[in-house]
Amino acid sequence: MAKKNPLRSFFASVKLAVVLLIAIAAASILGTLIPQQEAAGPFIARLGPVWASLLLNIQAFDVFHSFWFVTLMALLAVNLIVCSLDRLPRTWRRFRSKGDPELIGLFADLSADRIITTERPRAEAADRLTSLLKKIAGPVERRDRGERIFLYTNQGAFSHFGVLIVHAGVLIMMAGVMVGLFLGFEGYMNIPEGESAAVVSLKGGRGEKALPFSVRCDRFILEFYENGAPKTYRSDLTFHQNGRDVQSAAVLVNHPVTFGGIRFYQSSYGVMPGGNPVLTVSRRDSKIMEVEITPEMAFALPEHKATVRILRVEDNLMDMGPAAKLGVAAPTGNRQFWVFAAIEQIVAANPGILEQVPLFDPASFAPYVFSLRMPERRPYTGLQAARDPGVPVVALGAALLMAGLLTVYFRSHRQFWILLETAGDGTRISVTGRSNRNEAGMNRELNWLTAAIGADGEAG
Amino acid sequence: MIDAKILSATTFVYFSAFAFYLMRMVSGRESWGRLGSLTALAGLAAQTAALALRWIASYQMGIGHAPLSNLYESLIFFSWSITAVYLFFEWRTQDKSLGAFVIPAAFLFMAYASLSPHIDSRIQPLIPALQSNWLVSHVVTCFLGYAAFTVAFAAGLMMLLKGSLDRAGKNSRPDGAAARGKNDRNLGAPPDNSIPARFVVLIPAPAVLDDLIYQSVVLGFVFLAIGIMTGSIWAHYAWGSYWSWDPKETWSLVTWLVYAIMLHSRYIRGWRERPMAVMAVIGFICVLVTYLGVNLLPGLHTYQ
Repeated sequence: MAKKNPLRSFFASVKLAVVLLIAIAAASILGTLIPQQEAAGPFIARLGPVWASLLLNIQAFDVFHSFWFVTLMALLAVNLIVCSLDRLPRTWRRFRSKGDPELIGLFADLSADRIITTERPRAEAADRLTSLLKKIAGPVERRDRGERIFLYTNQGAFSHFGVLIVHAGVLIMMAGVMVGLFLGFEGYMNIPEGESAAVVSLKGGRGEKALPFSVRCDRFILEFYENGAPKTYRSDLTFHQNGRDVQSAAVLVNHPVTFGGIRFYQSSYGVMPGGNPVLTVSRRDSKIMEVEITPEMAFALPEHKATVRILRVEDNLMDMGPAAKLGVAAPTGNRQFWVFAAIEQIVAANPGILEQVPLFDPASFAPYVFSLRMPERRPYTGLQAARDPGVPVVALGAALLMAGLLTVYFRSHRQFWILLETAGDGTRISVTGRSNRNEAGMNRELNWLTAAIGADGEAG
Repeated sequence: MIDAKILSATTFVYFSAFAFYLMRMVSGRESWGRLGSLTALAGLAAQTAALALRWIASYQMGIGHAPLSNLYESLIFFSWSITAVYLFFEWRTQDKSLGAFVIPAAFLFMAYASLSPHIDSRIQPLIPALQSNWLVSHVVTCFLGYAAFTVAFAAGLMMLLKGSLDRAGKNSRPDGAAARGKNDRNLGAPPDNSIPARFVVLIPAPAVLDDLIYQSVVLGFVFLAIGIMTGSIWAHYAWGSYWSWDPKETWSLVTWLVYAIMLHSRYIRGWRERPMAVMAVIGFICVLVTYLGVNLLPGLHTYQ
């Protein structure tokens, strides 16, 4: 054999693979103990500056995307490729090998219970054995060598490739991850009910991505169980492209929707802050001004030299909804009173309330009438948008990995040999076999086979 | 809540099975072993019935789902899997000594589920994230994997215990008269009637335990691989990404890698017996972190 390149033998060694696996496992544990990415902020703040900068320098807050973690993965990939190529010729030889039982010495010191004699002549015994063997071990190959007949079965030779298939699966999965990394994207979009959006904010603050279509949130539905636990998060979406609504679909947790090659997932929800309440001033049923109010602000009324000061703003005053307390300063005297957003309903529910409680009368400063309007607080749906062309590749790799594992652990290369020799008037039958795994199982099968041959011999 | 009552009773059934297996080890009488197996089988049957009742009850409550949705149900199913996988190996190997080491694990998980005041045994509706067809296949494969690793861990403990008791026996008799554990019976060594010695005699030979560790680790390795894959598919539909380095995902990978290291070392470096036992213990610690430890870490995957 030619002398091996030292670099090649380094990368072909299983020792390297084990060291890399240990390193990857250790790094992964580190990545679960140190808060990662967005979660790292508060942790970094608690660290001293020396530690913080040290850990930042070794990318400890983004272990799984760090240069050194990716390097470990790349080394593992090289290791797998070189090691598998190195094994390939040997595996191929084992796959093809029919083996000569006499050369391997399998018949050399066979125990007595693996040798049976029958009264049948050799040729007849061989025919009967062929059909028996075929039933339990598949196609039978027969070789006549002078006075002796060999019967041979060869099953599961493919199992030698199991390890290579597992390694190929891992490599293909790695390739799929790379495809997703370079050609895919992942991000979020928050869309208020009734509005559309066409821009995705990419994960990890990596900018924005404009979509070639827009997504409208027609409705966001939140349902609860009786015990208060959430039952359903659902967004009814409409995809709008080239000036028309193309598709409407409901997105639920566990039920994403794909449009234009991009998958949309129900990820979160919330309420858009609505901004400040708006105070409207009317005079003789005509609106004269609208002011967005904040507590402590003041503005002048256009006539009567009056100044309105906002004393308080309440979200829910005495269970009667949002209200603002105004103080009006005018040459004719000062007044304070409340303006309720829902004044019409309050009056309808409590007839005569304005007479009883003049403090609640929005027309307290005649001839002006004040009214309050709260901005809409609209619920929004938080969608995750992602495209990952690597997924089918990863899935293929995973399927190979699984098929390989099952081959490695639950399939074996089983070969049976039966030798028939004339002995006196009858035939001596020797039975042997070998397996690349599970010697104990092979022995059981050989015992069973010799017993079956013995029974068959007596049956004639 | 008939199911919870049956399950509390199962806790004591498993404890009895453990006691019977232990009696067998101490007395050396096979009848205790048979009693242990029957008791464990009865516990498994009762637990299966309770899980079925719980499943039916959830449908009657109008929130039908498989009983695999919270910490309580997962502990029950873990315990169920341990007993089921153990009985499978007992049937295959026809050796009952493992029972004294595995059944206590099934008992402890049941006891934790039944007795801990922090664990809610009520049937709860499924939150949206769990409303998936992948729930059952993911949870079942993961726990069968964990259970196979538990069997490997128990066999590893037996091997380490036998090793240390053998050494202790040798040290107590400086003339070196103590026979090696695995040869005790064959050599007709002078009978040593102390309880540890009788106990050790019934622990199988290291080569047998090694084979048991190997077989159960292989089973767990394959089940965990399927569990991680079904979990990945589920995450692809639920979280928009088949892998997000969430602590539970990461620890399940670490666990799988630890067993991968163990299996590679066996093939290539010819590890047998003691190093395999040590790896089975390390692997099981990783299983516990993956199952329970990560609940202490922030992530998407924690039990409610």
